[in-house]
Amino acid sequence: MTDARILDRSYRAYDGPRGGVLGAMRTVALHSMRHALGIKRRHGAKVLPVLTILLAYIPAVVFIGMVALFKGFVLDNDVLPSYAGYFGYVTAAILVFSAFVTPELLCPDRRSGLLGMYLASPLDRNTYLLSKAAAVLAILSLVTIGPLLLLLLSYTILGQGPDSPLQWLATLGRIIAGGLCIGGLHTTLSLAISSTTTRKAAASAVIILTLFGSLILVQNVVFGLDHSIYYELFDFFRLPFLSVARIFGEATTDNDPKLERLNDLPAAVTIGANVAWTFVFATFVWWRYRRIAVTK
Amino acid sequence: MSPDTIISGQGVVKKWGSTTALDGATFVVRHGVTGLLGANGAGKTTLLGMILGLHRPDQGTLEVFGLDPMSAGAHVRERLGYSPEHHVLPADVQAFDLVRHIAELHGLPRRDATNRASDALYAVGLGEERFRPIGTMSTGQKQRVKLAQAIAHDPQLVLLDEPTDGLDPMQRDQMLELIRRCALEFNIDVLLSSHLLEEVERVCDAVVIIGGGVVVANAPLSELQSDRDAYLVDVVGDVDAVMGGLERAGLSISRDGTRLIVEVVDDAQLDTIRDVVATAGAGIKRLERRRRSLEDAFLELLDPDRAPTGVH
Repeated sequence: MTDARILDRSYRAYDGPRGGVLGAMRTVALHSMRHALGIKRRHGAKVLPVLTILLAYIPAVVFIGMVALFKGFVLDNDVLPSYAGYFGYVTAAILVFSAFVTPELLCPDRRSGLLGMYLASPLDRNTYLLSKAAAVLAILSLVTIGPLLLLLLSYTILGQGPDSPLQWLATLGRIIAGGLCIGGLHTTLSLAISSTTTRKAAASAVIILTLFGSLILVQNVVFGLDHSIYYELFDFFRLPFLSVARIFGEATTDNDPKLERLNDLPAAVTIGANVAWTFVFATFVWWRYRRIAVTK
Repeated sequence: MSPDTIISGQGVVKKWGSTTALDGATFVVRHGVTGLLGANGAGKTTLLGMILGLHRPDQGTLEVFGLDPMSAGAHVRERLGYSPEHHVLPADVQAFDLVRHIAELHGLPRRDATNRASDALYAVGLGEERFRPIGTMSTGQKQRVKLAQAIAHDPQLVLLDEPTDGLDPMQRDQMLELIRRCALEFNIDVLLSSHLLEEVERVCDAVVIIGGGVVVANAPLSELQSDRDAYLVDVVGDVDAVMGGLERAGLSISRDGTRLIVEVVDDAQLDTIRDVVATAGAGIKRLERRRRSLEDAFLELLDPDRAPTGVH
């Protein structure tokens, strides 16, 4: 006797549950993350995200390996970076994701008109943007929070972690807060720039120019022309890293005496400026999308 | 709002800067396939956008499923499918992935979205092609993908904006057949926005005709078409004399060579035609009833002075 199966391909009504707005937001966020990471896409689309993630995690794996290898020895800060210091190792990965992921997630929807189909779903402009922002932030967190969590967990297992459970939780909180500071500013900055053009390459170029342009300009103003250190609050490249240093209560730099003035910036002002810029860029994106005509 | 009403508009006004897209549109869309007709730029796409809750009316009220699409937009859109006018499909994505994604967006769990994406693509005749990247598909196939994504989540109503745009005659026939199936077999109401009268005439049960920002007609198609009948009278002999006699008898006529199109309200007027032709010493080569087309109704409604010439 053979197994028989009726394959019904007729159209049927659907009476099951529907996910509503939250379901739609989760769908967009997950779909965007998969797209940005090259999942279920051609091989070429996977190269950049895989290399970037490797770039962020390889130093962490090396440091964990060193701790494991020299177990029993106390490795000082010259060998192992502090948690705040590790953010310096992931700068390139942050830049790559910030400059290339956000335009990839935002520009084509407007260029092709697919945005109209998204807005014909339970999503509206605000929830659509929130979903995209969540996707970008999650991807950035892969290279900001992810490697540091790996370090924290590995160090703890190897006996090199924080001394007490309270310190452990404080370190975890600082890692997350630091990652969010960097991720928040980069997410909203790149969303803001991507919202002004439908061309991915143009958006990527402007993001890179904005980050490096503000760094070079402010560096010349503050250290070249010896103006107020508060101009550093307009340096979008360095500001999130200064904020991370403040969150961990560490000096910004201990090697370059010229940069020591950076330590004069109060923590509240630095972190406050980081949050304020994040808010400003987010408001700009919201304003831009309110003005975009989907159908007319 | 009556139970069979799915959309109702009352004095809807929408302005874009100094341009008035809709100027007090009042209409009702009921179950079945409804054509939204109007010249290019008449405000059809604006109205679709308002039904989707993308634009707020400057004045008037609009209800979809008895809800305000601005304040209850998510609930309304969850029950709507939308196929936009322009080709907006990502080229490097497989048709199946896109349809599943849109179904998930409308709240379906992934497993259901997966099953229904396949079903919808089979229903529109793309079952075997469903894993092809959309960029490699023909225009006809892309239009079918747009229809599949609009119906995959089992909406109560689909909004189709120029769904036959760019299709050849055979593909257009197939698409119109699919649209008809949506209403008859899938039990999905359809609002079909088009400027092609012939296709609206073929698939729609009712029409909303927009002209100058206002709704000039909102009625079942049968009502518009059967308002008055016309007869084609192919005259052999003195056509001018026949035409003069018919005009004196008070009939409305248009002429195309030896052929006269005569509007006839009742059968007694057919006798008048016979008598006038006999009196003029002419003959009738052909006498044929011509149904008043939607095009005639459309042109008359938008320009009441225009004579009904385009009977088919």
